[in-house]
Formats: sequence, structure tokens, C-alpha cells
Amino acid sequence: MDTVLWRRQLLAIVQLEWKKTLFSKRGIWVYVLAFLPALLFGINAYRVKSIRAEQERMSVSAPNASAVSNKIVAGMSADVAAEALRDAKIPYSRFTRGRRLEVIRYNDGANAFDLMFREGALVDKRKRNQALLSDDIRAYAGMFQYFYLRLAIFFGCVGIFMNLFRGEMLDQSLHYYLLAPVRREVLMVGKYLSGLVATILIFGTSTALQLYLMLSAHSNKEVSDYLAGEGWGHIAAYLGVTALACVGYGSIFLAAGIIMKNPMVAAASILFWEGINWFLPAMLKKFSVIFYLQSLCPVVAPLNSDIPEPLKLLVTTAAPISAPIAILGLFTVSIAVLAFASIYVRKLEINYGAD
Amino acid sequence: MAVYKRSYTSYSGALTPPRTRFLVLPRYSYERLFKSRFLVGFLVACLFFPLGCIGYIYLVNNLTIFQSMGIPTPGFLKIDGKFFLVFMNFQGALAYVLTALIGPNLIAPDLANNALPTYFSRPFSRTEYVIGKISVLFILLSIITWVPGMLLFGVQASQAGWDWSVANWYILRGILLGHITWILLLSLISVAMSAWVKWKVVAGALILGIFGIGAGLAQIINSILRTDYGSMIDISRIMYTIWSDQFGIETSTGLEAFEAWIGFAAVCIVCLLMLERKIRPKEIVR
Repeated sequence: MDTVLWRRQLLAIVQLEWKKTLFSKRGIWVYVLAFLPALLFGINAYRVKSIRAEQERMSVSAPNASAVSNKIVAGMSADVAAEALRDAKIPYSRFTRGRRLEVIRYNDGANAFDLMFREGALVDKRKRNQALLSDDIRAYAGMFQYFYLRLAIFFGCVGIFMNLFRGEMLDQSLHYYLLAPVRREVLMVGKYLSGLVATILIFGTSTALQLYLMLSAHSNKEVSDYLAGEGWGHIAAYLGVTALACVGYGSIFLAAGIIMKNPMVAAASILFWEGINWFLPAMLKKFSVIFYLQSLCPVVAPLNSDIPEPLKLLVTTAAPISAPIAILGLFTVSIAVLAFASIYVRKLEINYGAD
Repeated sequence: MAVYKRSYTSYSGALTPPRTRFLVLPRYSYERLFKSRFLVGFLVACLFFPLGCIGYIYLVNNLTIFQSMGIPTPGFLKIDGKFFLVFMNFQGALAYVLTALIGPNLIAPDLANNALPTYFSRPFSRTEYVIGKISVLFILLSIITWVPGMLLFGVQASQAGWDWSVANWYILRGILLGHITWILLLSLISVAMSAWVKWKVVAGALILGIFGIGAGLAQIINSILRTDYGSMIDISRIMYTIWSDQFGIETSTGLEAFEAWIGFAAVCIVCLLMLERKIRPKEIVR
């Protein structure tokens, strides 16, 4: 075994490939997908700061606003509530939602409320636009587990890792590699590592930026309290899970790009399997990447509100496994998948006409 | 006559009438599409649910067992807007799958093979080309959506009588308008994707992914920015809101009907702009 030569070849392939993956025109959509949550957290930071400023302004201009707000209770008519707010000089907006729902929206300096009136009577008093760090942490957990892991990183890995072999077949450039005096397995691992470098760089940077923007919206005291508590642990966990997701999904989609002629079938099947993970029995949950990734997430995300009520009854829970086992499990699965793909890559023949 | 003396002259035979010229495209497309057994099988399978619905309508209208026992028919056993909304949801989902199967083949091969100049060198405009391609989907999707929907309404009307039909005419309007807007949206999205992505596989994935990613994005916009307006980019929610509004059913999508219509119009305009940019009578020689 000429490990020195293999290492040099690996390095050469990674150097060739990672720039190609990072700066390819075809990959622009991966950046959009990765950095969109960061953009949203940036907008949220601006929104939270505006709410804080509005609350401060209100506490000066209408100091008794909270007391008036507390007097608005269920059953009160819309006209009476509006009059009470007007008398206390609390600005409000009144509008209708749907055919039967009337809404009065106002801010009492401490909280913002939506008063929901049905047939003229107050039926619900909802707090809205809370500028609390705890809410943002929960929103981040939901975004990370439902969007970032399941869609952004998933599709990003589909785009990047499937392209490593399948893309070169379509561009009719794979034969240059296959004609070079390099073992097929080394080529495959080299391409995998370059894909891994690119995805970890893209998605890891985005995760860090999202967390920074989320925290930047809040006061220094709140942030330092959070970081002194469990904050740094959360940040490390989110960054680690991002990298592990790239490792897990990357190996699967690289293998799919090598083995299958139409890798989209594999992508759709895996997406379906990962999507129904909530409803799978505890035993079957363990045969998915998302189960291990969710076990490593520091905050439990609330159940997706889009799931219809009858389906929520079918959701099953499995005890999350410990972090070392989850990490070991993901690496083992990735190595096993790559080993399986290496059998195919050794026999890989290309016929550009047919592909 | 010597061969060199032959020269090309303009075509002097009969022309297809200009108004129906766009139908030439579906005619040739269907010839190719119906060679696929899978597609034909899928189309047939799409009609099983409407058949089941007809059976259900017949049963609900002929429940004599309750009357014979002197007890009123249970409230949930009735044919109303909710029943037709379920029907539309189910058939709409099938239409979506069918679009993902057929859509990528519509424009991508023409672009990949630089075939557009051969279309546009004939008396055939870009608009006719796009309408022709859309009509491939429109006709097929109609067969599994509003056509059986109308049939169901007809069966119910024949069972429940004239009074029911008069009182529930809005259901008929809802079926027609709801399904036609859905077909239009699916067709525009699929031809736009097909025009922008040359690889059929990727175009198919995009057609499938645009709904999933749109829904995911809508969810995170709503949860991060504590708003409901994110749902305006979730195509499934947009359509569900429009359909529910047509049937007078309240929804919890967080969208008003007019907001859903704005979202619908925005998606259509974006798709049309994408098509306008890509469908040009030119050939790229590298």
C-alpha cells in the first residue's frame, strides 16, 4: 500500500475539486438556500430593535397603557375596546380578517397584542411580536431542524455531491480522471472530501452567521447571560450538527450519483424516508440520518404546525441516543456507504452517449 | 430536370387555421407521451378516486336504513363544499405528480437541441409556442381534475334534485375556477422550469422541490418574523386558501383570499417573465 502516494493524490484531487464546487455557477442556488435563513435573522434583528424602540416610546407617551390593556378582557365589544385604547392615547389599527373576524392591533409599551373579535365580542387576546431571546432560540431550533437540516442541507448536498460524478458524466469530462494513474477509490474519497470541505464551509458559515444575527438583536446583558449559561454549548452543537449532516447526506448522495443513472429517484426516496421519520416506529427511526442529527440538537423543536391534527396522533417518539453514539453511528453509516460505493466505482464505465 | 435547377419555394399547401395552430404541439406531444405505459397506467389510476366518490355520493343519497329506523341521517354523511374540497385536494395532488412526470419533457429538449429556430421559422409565434406547450398539460390535467369534478357535481345534482343544485351552484364555480387556476399554475411552473433547466431530471426535481422548499421557507419566515405573510410563497397554502374561499370554508392558513390571489398572480408573472427571457428564436453555437 503506497499511502504516501495516495495521500498526495487525495490532496491534488481535493485542491482541484473544492474550488470547482465552491465557485461553480451551477452552485449559486446552494448559497441562496444556505444563506436565506441568515437573511431572515438579519431582518428579524432589525424588527426586534424596532419593537424595542416602539416599546420605549410607548412607555413614555402613554405610561398607563398597561393598566388599560389589562382591563380589556374576553367578551368585551370591539367598539368599547377601541374607545378605551383611544382614551388612553394608545395607537391601534382595526381591520378584518376573513369574513367573520375583526382584529384590533396595539402595543401597550410592554407587549404587542392582537384582539380577535368574533361577532363583535372579544374571543382571543393574543400577544404578538414578542422581542424575547427565548422566543428566538425556540424559533431558531424549529428553523434549524425543519428547514435547515431537512431541506437546505439536504438539497445542498444533493446538488453538490451528486454533481461530483454525475455532473462530470453529463459534462463529458470524467474520462480525464479515469485515464489518470489514480485508484478509483482514491478518486472517490478525494471528491467526497472536496464536497465535504465545500458544504461544511458554506453551511457552517451560514449557521454561524444565523446565530450571530439572532443574538445581535438582543441586549448585551441578555446575550452574555445566555452565553454564560448554555449558549456556547448550543452554538457548538449547531455547528457540529451542520458538519455531521454534510458528512451523512454527502456520503449517501455521492454514492447515489455513482450507483444510479437517475439519482433524483434516490433523492426523492430519501427525502420521503426522512420526511416520515416522525411517524416511523422507534426501531425504524434509527435507519435515518435525521434521527441522529435531531438527537444531537440542543433544543427540542416544537412539532411542525403544518401536520394535520389526525396525523399528529401517529407521531411516535424514540428516546434520543447519546451524543457519542450518534456521532459514531453517523460516521459508521457514512464509511459503510462509501465502502459500498467504492465497489461500484471500481467497475465504473462511462458511455457518454448513453448517459 | 437537372438537380441543380431545383430550388426551394415557399410552401403552398393548406395551412392550419391560425387560431388552432397551437394545438399542433399537443398533437405531437401526445403521440410521444402515450407511448409510455407507465403514464397511461398512472392516468387511469388517477380516475379511481373520482369513481369511489361517485359511489359515495350514491350511497349518501340512498341511505334508507336511517330513515327506516326513524333516526336522522348523521351530519357527517353529506355532500357539501367540504366533500368537494377533499376531492379537489386529492386530485390536485395527483395533477401535481403528473406535472412533475410530464413537465420536464416539454421545453427542455427543444432548448437542449437548439430546436427553437425551427419552430419560429414557421408562421408560429412565441405566444403560440408557450400556449401550445401549456395546452399539453392543460388538456391532460383537465381529464383528472375539473372534468371528473363536474361529473361528480352532475351525479350529486341528479340524486339530490334541482333545489340542491340551485343552492350549491357555488360548488360548481369553485370546482371549475379552483382546478383551472391550479392547472394554470402547475403548467406555468413546469414550462418555466423546463425552459430554464436543460437537464430533464433536474427540471423534474425542481418542479417537485419548488413546492417543498416554498412551504419550508414560508414556515421559517412565519416563525422567525412572527408573521403570516410568509405563507404567500407557499404555493400549496395559496391554492388551499383560494379553494376554501370558493367553497366558503374558513381556513387556518393565515392568508386572506385576496392575499392568496396576489400570491397566485405573482407566481404566474414570475413564470411568464422566465419564459419571456428564455423562449427566443435564437441558436447558441459554442
